[in-house]
Amino acid sequence: MSRGNLFISIILWAVLLLFVIYPLSFLIIESLKIAGTNQYGLQNYIDFFKDPYYLKTFWNTLLLGILVLITTTLFGLPLAYILARYRLKGKLIFTALILLPIVLPAYAGAFALIVLFGKMGTVNLLLMDWGVISKPINFIFGLHGLVFIQALHLLPFIVLSLSAGFTDIDPSLEEAAEVEGAGGFRRFLTVTLPLCSPNYLAGAVIVFLWPFTDWLTPLIFGVQDLLPSTAYINIAYHFTDMHRKYMGIVSVVISSLICVGIFLASKSWVERKKYTALSKGTTLEGRIIQPNPWIKLSSYFYMFLIGVLVLLIPVVLGLSAFSRRWVLQPFPTFWTLDNFKLIFLETPLLLKNSFLFSLIALIFGVVFGLPAAYLITRTKVPGKDTLDFIITLMLAFPGIAVGVSYLLAFWEGIPLATHWIIMPLSLFVRRLPYFLRMAHASYLQLDISLEEASEVSGASKLRTFFNISLPLLLKGIFVGLVMFFIMAFQEISTAIFLYRGGWETLPIGIYLNWHRGMEFGIAGAMAFLMIVIIFILLLIVARIGGGILGAAWGSSGGRY
Amino acid sequence: MAFIQIQNLYKKFGHIVAVNRVSLDIEKGEIVTLLGPSGCGKTTTLRCIAGLEKPDEGDVIIDGKPMFSQGFVPPSQRGIGMVFQNYAVWPHLRVFDNVAYGLKIQKVPKQEIKQRVTEVLESVGLAGLERRYPGQLSGGQQQRVALARALVRNPKVLLLDEPLSNLDAKLRERMRFEIKSLVKRMNMTSVYVTHDQAEAMVISDRIAIMKAGNLVQVGTPEEIYKKPANRFVADFIGTTNFIPGEVSQIDKDRQLVSLQAEFGKILCRVFDSAMVSPNQKVHASIRPEEIEVYISPPKDKENLFKGTIMHRAYLGNFLYLFVNVDHTLIRIQAPYDIKQKEGEELFLFLNPEKCIVLL
Repeated sequence: MSRGNLFISIILWAVLLLFVIYPLSFLIIESLKIAGTNQYGLQNYIDFFKDPYYLKTFWNTLLLGILVLITTTLFGLPLAYILARYRLKGKLIFTALILLPIVLPAYAGAFALIVLFGKMGTVNLLLMDWGVISKPINFIFGLHGLVFIQALHLLPFIVLSLSAGFTDIDPSLEEAAEVEGAGGFRRFLTVTLPLCSPNYLAGAVIVFLWPFTDWLTPLIFGVQDLLPSTAYINIAYHFTDMHRKYMGIVSVVISSLICVGIFLASKSWVERKKYTALSKGTTLEGRIIQPNPWIKLSSYFYMFLIGVLVLLIPVVLGLSAFSRRWVLQPFPTFWTLDNFKLIFLETPLLLKNSFLFSLIALIFGVVFGLPAAYLITRTKVPGKDTLDFIITLMLAFPGIAVGVSYLLAFWEGIPLATHWIIMPLSLFVRRLPYFLRMAHASYLQLDISLEEASEVSGASKLRTFFNISLPLLLKGIFVGLVMFFIMAFQEISTAIFLYRGGWETLPIGIYLNWHRGMEFGIAGAMAFLMIVIIFILLLIVARIGGGILGAAWGSSGGRY
Repeated sequence: MAFIQIQNLYKKFGHIVAVNRVSLDIEKGEIVTLLGPSGCGKTTTLRCIAGLEKPDEGDVIIDGKPMFSQGFVPPSQRGIGMVFQNYAVWPHLRVFDNVAYGLKIQKVPKQEIKQRVTEVLESVGLAGLERRYPGQLSGGQQQRVALARALVRNPKVLLLDEPLSNLDAKLRERMRFEIKSLVKRMNMTSVYVTHDQAEAMVISDRIAIMKAGNLVQVGTPEEIYKKPANRFVADFIGTTNFIPGEVSQIDKDRQLVSLQAEFGKILCRVFDSAMVSPNQKVHASIRPEEIEVYISPPKDKENLFKGTIMHRAYLGNFLYLFVNVDHTLIRIQAPYDIKQKEGEELFLFLNPEKCIVLL
């Protein structure tokens, strides 16, 4: 073990201690404080679980998670099978299309749905115009709308993980079942599906845990009896009411514990059952079937339906962005560029902040992520596994937990929160694993003998890194960079707690415009602008990173 | 009538003809090996027998029943057992459940399943491992699970697709004999695919050699080794020396041909004197172990040539020599007690009985 590696390790640990462990410990300590005294105890937690309201938020969140998971699974399973197994034209474009919701922020989608399905939205107005109904139907406000939007947002995770599973299965495993006498459906149930279960679980965890982290979409749909939403309201609006503040913090801690706990449990389960890694000599293409005309037709129909749903969001946002006061009419009537004028001329600050903060966060991410990836894959520095573990945990950590803990930790003592650097810093910490895992995966694919050959030829470790490793890692790193940037760019759940006047980003701008009410045009234009920016970035990733599939799936363990 | 009849089988993948009108009869209880280099169509032929691949033309008839021409019979209805190259042991099922899978589908009573699985696991040497998951087994053990799974239903036909290619050399050698005796004991009609000629020699009653989708030769291991149909077979099975030459004389009665090679006249055996004509360019083929070596020239021997030792390797039970006979290099497996060193001279006797003419 060289001293250089130890040095890197110490610095990385210092960053982790200061910006992750220190603030998060504040969160836990704060949650244990007993209001009005200097004592610590579990009183807040006892209060939380004794209070029927908070208990309800807890069960509601759990219920929402289960409903979203069921919905995405029901719709995602056939789609994943179609994409993985049938030889169809236009599959690639469609795959790219259904990835869209991952990178589109869920809250942006929520606006689109309100315009379309709200009480005075397009669908209701049309139905009333035609005399089908006399009073508007509540399509989306409430739990059902929330399930719909979150399921739409999260569908790609299920589809991608399942279709990766279907593709990764060694074809001979299914052929063996066929030879043993198992017909189609039985084979699917006894062999195909069980073999996919680790892949499914990896996606299912992300889906199930989402309601424990997303506080904004529920609020937009008028639902606040959920852990993260209650936490946000309690902490952001009722910080003077000690009891409500503590209940909020407890909500955050409980959400975090559930996320981390389920994440770890599923991770260890998946690692114990790595079926696909066991078999040898798998074919790259997997088992692809030429579908008969009926299956083909219904597949296309199904893909079309999902495609329409996915495209609704950007289309509606685009329409509202270019129209003025699109309310109480089924379709926009007055076209204008005013909304964009407002963004570009009057508040370019939002754009500037968004780019600046994301860029600085990105630089932090690279400066931290590259050495960390190197340390984890290429050295035997003690504690590197723990380092990896903590960073990976951040994948599961709700953004609201990071935001709240930064707020608690960096006011007194280390008063970072008074400087704008807190914004990119929190973005960096929030998205810590994204870049790292991409670099990590690239490192794993890079044959170590290529580096050893360089060292044998007389190059130092540092020189080897810059001359050999970095050029070979470049593609993976680049994809990691852009994904990190995209995720940082749309981040709101952390930033909302930390921003002060003049530090607003584009997502915060969207939120504020919605919050003030009736400024849908501007909020829609901002959301549309953000989607366009993200989509351009995504196209770049897709071009450079090979398949768009691998790009968007990025760090979460898909195939590249 | 043969138990398995492969009739005029033809299969294309895109523009590549994988199997080119192959016909082959396999008798009941016989072990036939499809042998050839990779890409020769042997696995595709096997997969057609299994029904995992549908031929473009031709048919496979198993036990009198056509598998393709009168409606496609899916693999699940063919009553075959198959061992896959990568074993295809289901990782999510225990050893017992892997083996019992097919029996459960046949709705065999529980008690009988238990008994049959236990028996077959015992016969492949896996007794006591029923509760293990495949991930807890070695490669060799997984291979035995695959074999047990294929055997447990007493299938009419057993198909083996390079079942030993993922095992290490020592285990591979042992398993050849084990599989052969097991299959023979159960009197199963088997088709075995391999690219390893030694494996084919050990395991088969007959070998069918394939090249680029075509069936080149079918015969017992001995026939194939001693009477290869052409240069490809002679080269693929064992090692041999090819000596190019021109036919100068044909003795139809004794089935001998006189060949003008670069370094002199060679007398060779020809199996079918009709296939050669005077002045035709052909090759003489003689195996390294068939060449007799003399230190001083014996009297009255034809086909005797003088050469210089170029390389000499001691391999324990014999010597491996490369001898230069007037610029033609000839490989020889010589007795280990020959003391001559590199650069020294030897006399080679190419026995006309062992030296054969190939096109």
